[in-house]
Amino acid sequence: MVDLNAYHNDFENKWCPGCGNFGVLNAVKKALAEQEIPPENVLLVSGIGQAAKTPHFLNCNFFHGLHGRALPVAAGALLANHDLNILVHMGDGDCYGEGGNHLLAALRRNLDVTLLVHDNRVYGLTKGQASPTSRYGFASSAQPFGSFSDAMNPMALALSQGAGFIARGYCGEVDHLAGLIRAGMAYPGFAMIDIMQVCVTYNPVNTYSYYNERILMIDEKEHRADDWQAAIHMALQPEETIPIGIMYQKETRPFTSRIRTLSDGPLIARTRDPSAVQAVLDELG
Amino acid sequence: MGIDMTVTIGGAAGQGIQTVGDLLALVCHRAGLYLMVINDFESRIRGGHSFMQLRISDEPVYAADDGIHLLVALNRGSLAVHAEEIRAGGYALIDERSEGDDKAGEGGEAGIAVVGFRRLAEEAGGRIMANTVAAGAALGTLGAPDELVESVIKDQFRDKSQTVRDNNLEAARMGRNAVAEIRFDWRLQWPGQNPRGKLVSGAQALALGALAADCRVACFYPMSPATGVMVGMAGYMDRFPLVVEQAEDEIAAINMVIGASFAGVRAMTATSGGGFSLMAEGIGMAGITETPAVVVNAQRPGPATGLPTRTAQGDLHFVIHAAQDEFPRFVLAPRTLDEGYETMIRAFHLAEQYQVPVIVLVDQYFTDSLGIAGRKWVVPEIVERFLVSDAEMENPARYRRFSTSGSGISPRAVPCAGKARVMVTANEHAEDGHLSEAISDRNGQMEKRAKKMKRMVEEMRSPEVLHPDSSLLLVAWGSTCGVVREAVMRLRRENHDVGAVFFSDIWPFPAAAAAVALSGPGQFVMVELNASAQLGALIRAHTGLHAAGAIVRYDGRPMKPGGLMHDAMQYLEVSDG
Ligand SMILES: Cc1ncc(C[n+]2csc(CCOP(=O)(O)OP(=O)(O)O)c2C)c(N)n1
Repeated sequence: MVDLNAYHNDFENKWCPGCGNFGVLNAVKKALAEQEIPPENVLLVSGIGQAAKTPHFLNCNFFHGLHGRALPVAAGALLANHDLNILVHMGDGDCYGEGGNHLLAALRRNLDVTLLVHDNRVYGLTKGQASPTSRYGFASSAQPFGSFSDAMNPMALALSQGAGFIARGYCGEVDHLAGLIRAGMAYPGFAMIDIMQVCVTYNPVNTYSYYNERILMIDEKEHRADDWQAAIHMALQPEETIPIGIMYQKETRPFTSRIRTLSDGPLIARTRDPSAVQAVLDELG
Repeated sequence: MGIDMTVTIGGAAGQGIQTVGDLLALVCHRAGLYLMVINDFESRIRGGHSFMQLRISDEPVYAADDGIHLLVALNRGSLAVHAEEIRAGGYALIDERSEGDDKAGEGGEAGIAVVGFRRLAEEAGGRIMANTVAAGAALGTLGAPDELVESVIKDQFRDKSQTVRDNNLEAARMGRNAVAEIRFDWRLQWPGQNPRGKLVSGAQALALGALAADCRVACFYPMSPATGVMVGMAGYMDRFPLVVEQAEDEIAAINMVIGASFAGVRAMTATSGGGFSLMAEGIGMAGITETPAVVVNAQRPGPATGLPTRTAQGDLHFVIHAAQDEFPRFVLAPRTLDEGYETMIRAFHLAEQYQVPVIVLVDQYFTDSLGIAGRKWVVPEIVERFLVSDAEMENPARYRRFSTSGSGISPRAVPCAGKARVMVTANEHAEDGHLSEAISDRNGQMEKRAKKMKRMVEEMRSPEVLHPDSSLLLVAWGSTCGVVREAVMRLRRENHDVGAVFFSDIWPFPAAAAAVALSGPGQFVMVELNASAQLGALIRAHTGLHAAGAIVRYDGRPMKPGGLMHDAMQYLEVSDG
């Protein structure tokens, strides 16, 4: 195993003390170290938000782009070089709100990246407004009378769209989460991990004790990962318990292996042939 | 000029106007004639009416013209719509006679020939060939040699069965025979098989330029009139290291382009105003992350959805300023098909050399029209990538993507290509790529980016000037230069003292060159397809020179030489007198 410090970047971290993002950060380091992927071989892509700042605290390559738009950036990078190891970090507002259409497209493409949604059920960076996963009635300065919308269900959404790898993690179970990230990275295709992440400052509802009381690790012997019915049932169950682990996994055809051009190797590694262009021009007379 | 005539093919959408037009264009092209083919998709009368208009000449032509010499009316409505435009002595070829069809043309002096497109097609083997009958009749009227027409038809149906080929040859022959009696005043002299260049659309020229520039990722969301550019590339995916991917929306398209470019390949997108609006934040991200990106904006009129299939030049100020705050970018507006091809090669080169977004600003008239590109299209032997690798770094561990030392252009490395970490954020950042709010970082990066503008402006090509000492200069940019050239040529033939200034390179504004071009003894008048003469405003802002007036059009239709000459005369009468 590579030393965890190899992934450390001492860029000043301004997350609140106790922020659930620290657990996610540590799990990522652990997952990378356990897989012995050198930091320089990792590309982190993120949107905007507190979660999306995660790449700054890792010693890898990164592209920290626009609010909601990490998945298309990752898709473009992958088209250019499908040998890249890409981890995408997004918040729930980032991924399910501003970038919702890109999530649908990533599911349809089966984009071969691992998506980590730091799901704190609130907008952290903008100081506490309701997010797409905040429950109906969630009160904040912007929703003083409670939010008027129901929470979305990202797991059920992804399952309904044919996703091949869906897992739920918890920032308070770092080793377990590291295992999910490893499994996600090993999965050929779109791996989506929704992480129950605690926001200690702006979300008084979904606290550590809220999760600690409800979290239940999925028992691989009881829950067969390829049982879609069981998975959707799990995804739709009321939140009296919150199962974490791999909810669903099946073999699928990843995006870049669907594109014939890419079977000759990553675009970035291909040589240019000016005579091929000349041939096209000559065909026009 | 010996030959100069216009053939219009009118019909309902879906009737195969394109098939007839393409056959005519291919025959003329192969014969060595020059062409300007415009597509007009619109509903002028109930039921929907579209037309394709071919101006055919033995000398280069730069615009569509007024008046019709030969009308091919695929449906009844077409004759009614175009009857007035037919010149005296011209002809209309129609399918079958119906009441009120006997008079056409100026003073009713045009002839009408009933060809029976559908009836003859059935005789030749099936109604589906009505368009081939129509093409055969039109080419017969123009006196096209049989072997030329047949060679083009054989090529067009190359991939079809022998029967289909033979039936189409027969259909064309029957069309020709049906017009054998017509004495058409503008029967062409057919120069023989010697094409003058490539027969391409503007969209194709841009697509091929991108291919020549080694563009490897193209992402787009369909939007007229830009779609043709992407479609023009998609077919080559099996022959080149190229992926063309339809994105879920324009925001995704620009972000995918930036992702691909960041990861190390050349990438582009093409859209129209509405899509470009959605891309604005992405353009800003290309700016602040200094990621090369090429964006084609094919303009159409109107904010929001506007007039989807029409032409305009109303986005000039918008593309120069799109996205908040200030950052360097290029805006290039090719004037001709040849320049369209070449501009794409330049656009990718400049984007990578300066690590900036490059906007190629065209319009519906440019992308949808076909013509003969006469210059040799050079394929660059090498494309320079302006990238750095570990090997060139003293210490890759200390690599700083946004280093402020040097020219303002920081060393650009590719992620995961070595030990150097490539760290990029769309937040303002420090030299190492981490986000930063430090005053020194903000100012350092702003100034570094701004510094590029000084060198970028030196890349700008001076406007082309025709007859600089004229008492009146007509000033245009992009595709409108064609019609201005044509109008100036004709006005000068009528002994008017008029010249022109044609801009292709718009931003950073080539102020010094513009001042030289516009400081002649005469006055200058803007000619633009937007309401306020936007280039005129740029000229004023950057040179202090004021146009004497503006000839503008914003109804979505391209200008024609006749109307432009008429408008220009106003200024000429003043200056001549
Ligand atoms: C286009 C755009 N709109 C809005 C914002 C402001 N903004 C930044 S982060 C954010 C939401 C953050 O919430 P989330 O994605 O859940 O991430 P968190 O901060 O909670 O980790 C918003 C609305 C922005 N940066 N860009």
